[in-house]
Amino acid sequence: MPAPLDAVRARRLVEECLRSEIGSKTPQPSPDQDLIETGVLDSMGWVGFLRALESASGVNDLGARLTERVPSLENILVALNDARAEVIRHNPDSTKSETQPTRTPVLLLGSSSEVGSRLISSEEVDRRFGMPVGKLRSRAGIESLAYAAEGEDELTLAARAAQKTLQAASCGAQELDWIICTSETHRGYPSLAARLHSKLLARETCGALDAGGACLGLLHGLAVAQAMIGSRQAQTILVVTSDVHSTVLMPGRVAGEFGGLFGDGASAFLLRSAPTNTQTSSPAWFALGEFFFGCAGQYAGAIRVAEAGGSKFEVHFDGEALSRAAITRMEKIIFDVEQRSGIARDSLAGLATHQPNPRLVALLARQCGLPEAKFPVVARKFGNLGASTCGVALDLLLQSAAAVEASARRPIFLAALGPGLLFGGGWLTPA
Amino acid sequence: MTRLLITEITYMGPVFCVIGLKHDDDKIYSVRPVSPETNGWRYFPYGRGDVLRCDLAALGGARPHVEDRLSSRGFEKETTVCEGDVVKYLRRAECSSSLPELFGCVLHENTRGSGLFAKPSEASRSICGTETCNLRLDLCGNELRATLALPSGEVLRDLPVVDRDWLDFVGAALEERRGPNRVARIRRFLDSFFHYKLLSCPHHFVRLGLTRPYRDVCWVMLDTLFPLPQPAWLEEF
Repeated sequence: MPAPLDAVRARRLVEECLRSEIGSKTPQPSPDQDLIETGVLDSMGWVGFLRALESASGVNDLGARLTERVPSLENILVALNDARAEVIRHNPDSTKSETQPTRTPVLLLGSSSEVGSRLISSEEVDRRFGMPVGKLRSRAGIESLAYAAEGEDELTLAARAAQKTLQAASCGAQELDWIICTSETHRGYPSLAARLHSKLLARETCGALDAGGACLGLLHGLAVAQAMIGSRQAQTILVVTSDVHSTVLMPGRVAGEFGGLFGDGASAFLLRSAPTNTQTSSPAWFALGEFFFGCAGQYAGAIRVAEAGGSKFEVHFDGEALSRAAITRMEKIIFDVEQRSGIARDSLAGLATHQPNPRLVALLARQCGLPEAKFPVVARKFGNLGASTCGVALDLLLQSAAAVEASARRPIFLAALGPGLLFGGGWLTPA
Repeated sequence: MTRLLITEITYMGPVFCVIGLKHDDDKIYSVRPVSPETNGWRYFPYGRGDVLRCDLAALGGARPHVEDRLSSRGFEKETTVCEGDVVKYLRRAECSSSLPELFGCVLHENTRGSGLFAKPSEASRSICGTETCNLRLDLCGNELRATLALPSGEVLRDLPVVDRDWLDFVGAALEERRGPNRVARIRRFLDSFFHYKLLSCPHHFVRLGLTRPYRDVCWVMLDTLFPLPQPAWLEEF
């Protein structure tokens, strides 16, 4: 549950969501005007407006609260205020809002990323999959792919990223309370988190947890870590992604149009509760904002992967539907992150998003009215890295932030999707 | 003379939209009788399951409302078929179990708010039946909306419910004479008893439709939900 909206923020949110629904040319209706009776909105627009508001405000039962009330802006504000009053009644400290959070703030102390050591041209991948040479470059915009070299797997890539992160933050593995891993390619037990725990020689009482969600895995991991630290169950947590597709989605097992999109990579992030005094030694600290998640089941059929016996996979991959879904949903997530955080998208350092392929990144940037340079180059150079796409992108943005003066650092948005269609968003602000 | 088994009666603004099933040889398909003046009927004193005799003429209706037929005279009731049998016939008419097959086209997500829509030129029909794995109704700002899961695992969210009987049932549940906490009571019903009644019913079935083109899109709506609500259910909450 996000911090309850104060009156000013609620009014701004209502006006922005309404503007998005009715366009810029329709005059702003008066507060007590019946939006449906007077034709400002039809019933589809009314429900659409309410759903957009629910999503942006976090008040999930706003529509239900407005049943048997005149559909007016005034009544919406009253309903939002009622929702706020209920939150405050249950949790009086929540009025301290986002500037004085009651939960322990969570800082990101360090990050690192790794990609497979072999960089292979997309033309070579075309050949391996028996596709026309140039197909991946012309259709998906992929120039090269990072493939794991011999001896590299999810564990080695994860361990390299983790160790670099711990070193950069001057944090010993024995300080970790939890290791949270996510991978869409690692199968079998011990799980990746357990194996990484042993590899890093974390202390025995450090927990090891694997989070799912495929390409959304990083956000799941960060949100779980934030909840654990926020509730004082833990103080220091390492969140790691690692995906090695090149040994799973191979020629003969899957079609090149699908398997050829993926590369191998890993990322690691060290999270810790904010110190009680404000003396911080690292110049690159960012604070985690809020995370939100959901599942848009109408796209469940767009991508399905199942084991088909032997070493084969049954892949249902409707590229066109998936592209449409990715753009539509990512645009919605970015809108919601903007509304929830109150941070304008044009003030961002960048966006760490999932990048299904480079063409979609370009399209998304255009749809969102943002320069493509705001999206770090990951898929074009390394391929779709699964959960690690978002991780590598975030690490690149954090490394860039570390190179500038603290006062010049700007917020980062996170947005990702996973099969289902799972979606999630969040943000980081310079601490 | 055509014999039509009435399967859909929906609210369409101030008029009713009616759809029935026609049986030609082995084929059962949907037909939407429209009056010469409007696409609907201001007065329609019949119910689902009624078999009506009428005169229907072909109508060059624009896609996707290819089921439209011009009704040149009134209806004459012949007999009534029970609810379970209506669903048996519906299962033999236009049916689909996945999203792209419903209307033979891509369904788009509303980028601003909620709901799904088809582009009129892409859809090949405007009505289709489907089984559902789960279905939920809820009230959102006075509007009744349905969310349902198809056998394919795909989920359709926030579909406007236009089924006359279900809207009348919810309207009756919210009547002032029913006393206090009406909204909370109907919500509790929809979240519990309704769910059980629906999913335990052997003839649970839905029909989805497309609205007439409006601003170049046709919205997906829940036209019909079987079982139909029973007035006695109002006494249960």
